[in-house]
Amino acid sequence: MEEKARLSDVGEFISEYSAHMMGCGVHTSRVIRSARRIGVAYGYDVKISVFQRTIILTLFDRETHEHFNDVVEVQPLPISFEHNARLSALSWKAFDEHLPLSAVKEEYQRVLESPAIHPFFVLMMVGIANASFCRLFGGDWLSMGIVFSSTVCGMFLRQKMTGAGINNYIVFVVSAFIASLCASASLIFDTTSETAITTSVLFLVPGVPLINGVIDILEGHVMTGVSRLVQAGLLIICIAIGLSFTLLLVKDSLL
Amino acid sequence: METFWKTIASYNSSTWICQIVIVLVAVILTVWLLRKRSRAIVVGMKLFLIALYVWIALVYYYVYCSERSYNSIMVIFWLVLAVSWLWDMVSGYTTFERDGRYTKLALVLLCMPFLYPVASILRGMSFPAITSPVMPCSVVVFTIGLQLMFSRKVNLFIVLLLCHWSMIGLSKTLFYNIPEDYIMTMASVPAVYLFVRDYFLSGIHTMTKPQVKYMRWLLAALCVGVCLILVWTLYLEFARGIL
Amino acid sequence: MIVVDILSDALFAALAGVGFGAISDPPMRAFRFIAVLAAVGHACRYCLMTYAGIDISTASFIGALSIGFGALWLGKSARTPMTVLYIPALLPMIPGKYAYNMVFSQIMFLQNLGNAVERTRYMEMFFSNAMVTCTVVFMLAVGATLPMFIFPARAASLTRVKY
Repeated sequence: MEEKARLSDVGEFISEYSAHMMGCGVHTSRVIRSARRIGVAYGYDVKISVFQRTIILTLFDRETHEHFNDVVEVQPLPISFEHNARLSALSWKAFDEHLPLSAVKEEYQRVLESPAIHPFFVLMMVGIANASFCRLFGGDWLSMGIVFSSTVCGMFLRQKMTGAGINNYIVFVVSAFIASLCASASLIFDTTSETAITTSVLFLVPGVPLINGVIDILEGHVMTGVSRLVQAGLLIICIAIGLSFTLLLVKDSLL
Repeated sequence: METFWKTIASYNSSTWICQIVIVLVAVILTVWLLRKRSRAIVVGMKLFLIALYVWIALVYYYVYCSERSYNSIMVIFWLVLAVSWLWDMVSGYTTFERDGRYTKLALVLLCMPFLYPVASILRGMSFPAITSPVMPCSVVVFTIGLQLMFSRKVNLFIVLLLCHWSMIGLSKTLFYNIPEDYIMTMASVPAVYLFVRDYFLSGIHTMTKPQVKYMRWLLAALCVGVCLILVWTLYLEFARGIL
Repeated sequence: MIVVDILSDALFAALAGVGFGAISDPPMRAFRFIAVLAAVGHACRYCLMTYAGIDISTASFIGALSIGFGALWLGKSARTPMTVLYIPALLPMIPGKYAYNMVFSQIMFLQNLGNAVERTRYMEMFFSNAMVTCTVVFMLAVGATLPMFIFPARAASLTRVKY
């Protein structure tokens, strides 16, 4: 058997790895499991405590009784299921194939550098999704078309504003307002305009933190779970604020 | 339907002098921009566009269309567009640089505002109840033509909002029998295709997810879909005319 | 005719699931699984609500449960964790109508503070819609997560390469 990887090297890698996973929308128990698995692959015990903004972890070497401690900040990254899947697979690979640490680090870098999904593709898919949603709620074809183009306007604005580094809550309020304003133009016609207004903002619903929050709570990580739910709740309130600007304009015709 | 043409008639008969001035300013600014681009003239063009959009919002929708229901939505919508141009002017986003690729299509679009009244007269209507060059639909065509003429860097958000507008225009033709708006929708589909393609899908040399060719197909499919809907509504229109 | 209804419901749910999934940057290979799961789950809920007359929260729970088991089963061939497949698939079942009515009645409540009858009406509307929205969202999350608790070992090793 080759020489054991250094405790501090493994520790630094695991802290970066787990912070990245936590940032890109992986539920807490999976982060802990994957981090432990990598630790075990190199013969160290990982004791880890996860919060919403920081991760505290200790690596322990049973043979030499050495410790490695680290506190890492969790950066809010865009949600990425691709990273979730590939980094989980990486932990299993390290565990099963006894890869040297350098190979695991290389693979980790490759995952980070792989292209994220193209914004144009997201834009079009979200438009189609919201239009289908409108259909599920009983909207007619005209409403679907209007919801499609309102969603594309709102989503494009969201992408641009997020790219410009504007505060997330403001982004949500403004995008929800623009999307619902565009959709409210459907009131001119004799169509299912209330459905159109309803569905036009649904592309903003933060589904991932919402469901991750419930999973975390059910698995006993109540702190991270509640903080995820609070975060999702705030975003939903922002959507409601943006929507209510439009509703205040048109409320008389919706009664 | 009745209200629609009545509001247009009152708008035209009381503001035709202002409309002529606006058209003249637009023509002068566009020609100037084409011949010699300078910082001052770019800012001037944007100021003119802001003023034009505010005019549409306040004068056209707020004052003259107050009889129509939901005019407040339109006022806000056009004010949002004016604010977008204001942001554009402050940040200097659109540069109005010539690209030279789409000159022909752009020229066609820039001439279209003048086609509106002609189309109305050909349909047997007379002043003041005709569509004029300073109305929302003509302004949309003008803006899209302008951006297409100077297509090196365009403000896609404004284009998307205008595209949404022309989509509503299309539905309006179906409900209120205003065939003039076909011009606008017909024109905006190829323009939006070109804008979106240039903005997102050109000059990509790295690997993307999914591959660029699939995204091009998706965009083309969507545009073809919109065109099919257009043809279908046009057919309905004709069928109604014949019956 | 019933078959056409169910199929169109499934089709649009699949489109919605795939589209909302795209926001969260899933691996390309996961899209077809997301589409299948979203279609099955939503069609299941639609049938239960329309033909069996079951209420929305129970129907959502059963729909989510089927999505959860589907994700557990398909996750092995997609080589992705369960959450990657089931979160996008659940999104078409979010009760947007109730959430919207909640916001709407809140605004109308604030507009009608002086009018006791109207105020009470909107208050009642707000609470009933809020209750439905929260229950359904919670049921969706619980239903889809349940398989993870029943088969924890399999759920944790979906991304493991077999050899």
